[in-house]
Amino acid sequence: MDTITLNPDAQLYCTTHPAMGTEYSLYLYAPSREQAAAIARPVFEEVDRVDGLLSNYQPGSELSRINREAFQHDVTTDPETFGFLATCLAWSERSRGAFDISVGRLMKAWKFFGASGAVPSQEELAAARADVGWEKIRLDRGQRTVRFLAAGIELDPGGVGKGYAVDRAVRVLRAKQAPAALLSAGSSTIYALGAPPGEAGWKVRVPFAGAGEDPISTVILRDTSLSTANLSEKNFVHDGHFYGAIMDPRTLRPVEGMAQVTAISPSATDSDALSNALFVSGPEDRALLLDGRQQDCALVIREKQCGQEKQFAAEYEAIRWPAEVANGQIAALANAKEKVKL
Amino acid sequence: MNRRSLLQGLSFSMLAAKLPGASSLYGQAEGPQAAPSRRIAANDRVNIGFIGPGSRGQELIRQLLRTPGVEIAAQCDVYEPRFAEVNEMVGKKVPAHRDYRELLQRKDIDAIFIATPPVFHASYAIAAMKSGRPVYCEKTIGFTQEDSQNVVDAVRKTGQVFQVGHQMRYASWIRDSIERVHQGEIGEPTQVYGYWHRSDNWRREAPNPSLEHLMNWRLYRESSGGLLEELGSHHIDIANWVFKERPQTILGASSIAVYHDGRTVGDNVQAVLGYSKGRRMFFSSITDNGLMADQLWIYGTEGSLQITLEDATFYKQTSKTITEASHSDVVQKGVATGASYSADSAMPYRGPGDRLQAKPGEDATLTACKSFVECVRSKQQPFANVEVGFGSAIACSTGRAAVYEERVAKIPQLPA
Repeated sequence: MDTITLNPDAQLYCTTHPAMGTEYSLYLYAPSREQAAAIARPVFEEVDRVDGLLSNYQPGSELSRINREAFQHDVTTDPETFGFLATCLAWSERSRGAFDISVGRLMKAWKFFGASGAVPSQEELAAARADVGWEKIRLDRGQRTVRFLAAGIELDPGGVGKGYAVDRAVRVLRAKQAPAALLSAGSSTIYALGAPPGEAGWKVRVPFAGAGEDPISTVILRDTSLSTANLSEKNFVHDGHFYGAIMDPRTLRPVEGMAQVTAISPSATDSDALSNALFVSGPEDRALLLDGRQQDCALVIREKQCGQEKQFAAEYEAIRWPAEVANGQIAALANAKEKVKL
Repeated sequence: MNRRSLLQGLSFSMLAAKLPGASSLYGQAEGPQAAPSRRIAANDRVNIGFIGPGSRGQELIRQLLRTPGVEIAAQCDVYEPRFAEVNEMVGKKVPAHRDYRELLQRKDIDAIFIATPPVFHASYAIAAMKSGRPVYCEKTIGFTQEDSQNVVDAVRKTGQVFQVGHQMRYASWIRDSIERVHQGEIGEPTQVYGYWHRSDNWRREAPNPSLEHLMNWRLYRESSGGLLEELGSHHIDIANWVFKERPQTILGASSIAVYHDGRTVGDNVQAVLGYSKGRRMFFSSITDNGLMADQLWIYGTEGSLQITLEDATFYKQTSKTITEASHSDVVQKGVATGASYSADSAMPYRGPGDRLQAKPGEDATLTACKSFVECVRSKQQPFANVEVGFGSAIACSTGRAAVYEERVAKIPQLPA
């Protein structure tokens, strides 16, 4: 990659843009406010374009069209969408189904689509079982078509869409020759391009709600991405039990016993998918997920029930994690009520 | 340049010269002689030659890539960075030409898409049809009145399939709701009120100043009819569709209120179009606004219809009822006084509204592309045919004079 030198007069600017149900933030160095704006505009246009491609809330999106039609007939799609779906299925295969974008009906059964969740009836869950499963999605590379093998399959890009949008937007930043920028999709996926002047990279703090104000780890990122999966976005408590919006597609239930996963990978699509796959996977599969991916690393925070009922300790597992982790803080106890505030 | 030459339209070569680098690149003469084109059977792949893959052009290519049985077989542009953008989108190297005549000479092209600046539409479309190919041409079909007439003549003479890029005609919810208007749902439609209010400076970034006119052709009178042509043409087309005729007159106004950046078209425009029986269409487009806003209202004697880019809603006036009053309550007991506000009455003119139950909205441009490819195979003229294209183009090219001189202009009609 060409090294783009930072103009000595460059200043740090920040701008935000609402998209994909969150707020994107862009920090970048530019010689003037006007030049910062001239870069930010096409970056956010690209985010909106990806939203229009993958949104399952917009009926006119390509993903919505595939959801409507792919059970009835082969749907011809564009190479970009095809490539995105192929990437998603590759992550499903690699994660043994822990990562799966076919969870649309499951998210609806648990009322996590456009709402904050509720426990479904047994009938609703049984109905969802037939409609979930990445192996029921067939891609034909030669014809560039998508076909569903079950009538109710619905793709939900929730576990990877923001990461993909960040990757595409970073391409625009590179094309505009932005020397140093940080793009954040509501903080769940972050890409660090280049480095601030005189720094080795962009500093990203990994907080953990159970551990108070201080971050549990701080990493320096340069030309790589970081994604975090936790249950702070959508969750509910029913009969004193905490339910979060990250589903295990194999059990059709929200994942239990996990608190937070942060993953680092050169591709934001991959770090987003990886953080979710690690969140859903058991310990053995977690190790396999990072096997052969030397540039990827992760910080996994599990919950461990300890002592009395509804009391938990957090414990961490660092996989090639490049920074120190404040172990003592993570061990802080968090009860189920506090977890709601994650 | 005097106003007369501007309004009557410049020759192609003059215009090409106005766009730096264009004259020697796009080519100046009429297109090549008819290239033998193969017969396309129902299941054959349709090979597309694409002229002008800029921002709008790339959106069309994206939708063509979602259309079964279509291949992007060749591309043409004067701005070479587009080639790599197209190759990436298509996922392979698409043969590239800088001169549209070279593209038309290829033997492996079945149909032509044109998404260049509108000053080139007519000459390229005519050359493409003469070369024996069906044409999908972005709106407006012609820049001058003469251009639009020439395109109609070429379609009539060659019999080629010709579709204009009025994709709103293919939006399921717009089609369904206008059908209901034609069935009398809102009585007799008398007014169409359309606005497309942007929230940006309508400027593209030029990689260097020498490319300003090529990138920002929309901002200069030599190469653009401004907001009326680029945005208003879609709404004018819908008014033509609703009223089932083309407008007879156009009254216009325009100014630069904010963007004194060298542009010569207005950053705001207003137009009133006159149809038979006193029916009117009003269009407004501005560039300063809190949000993107694109809406059309169709008002009739018995209701109104609101159309947006996502849905359509019918509103009916609540019928007035008269009941008998009680003498003892009103006259003997007397009427009471108190607070008057009721939230439901704040907007009494806005009835409850009947949201149109349309099929989930596929992207209208995708439907338009699919429909065009079907027409290429079946050799049928499309719904958005050349006469539809003439209706909006003639209003816009006539409207330029009306807008710049702030007067009423008479719109020529299409000879039978």
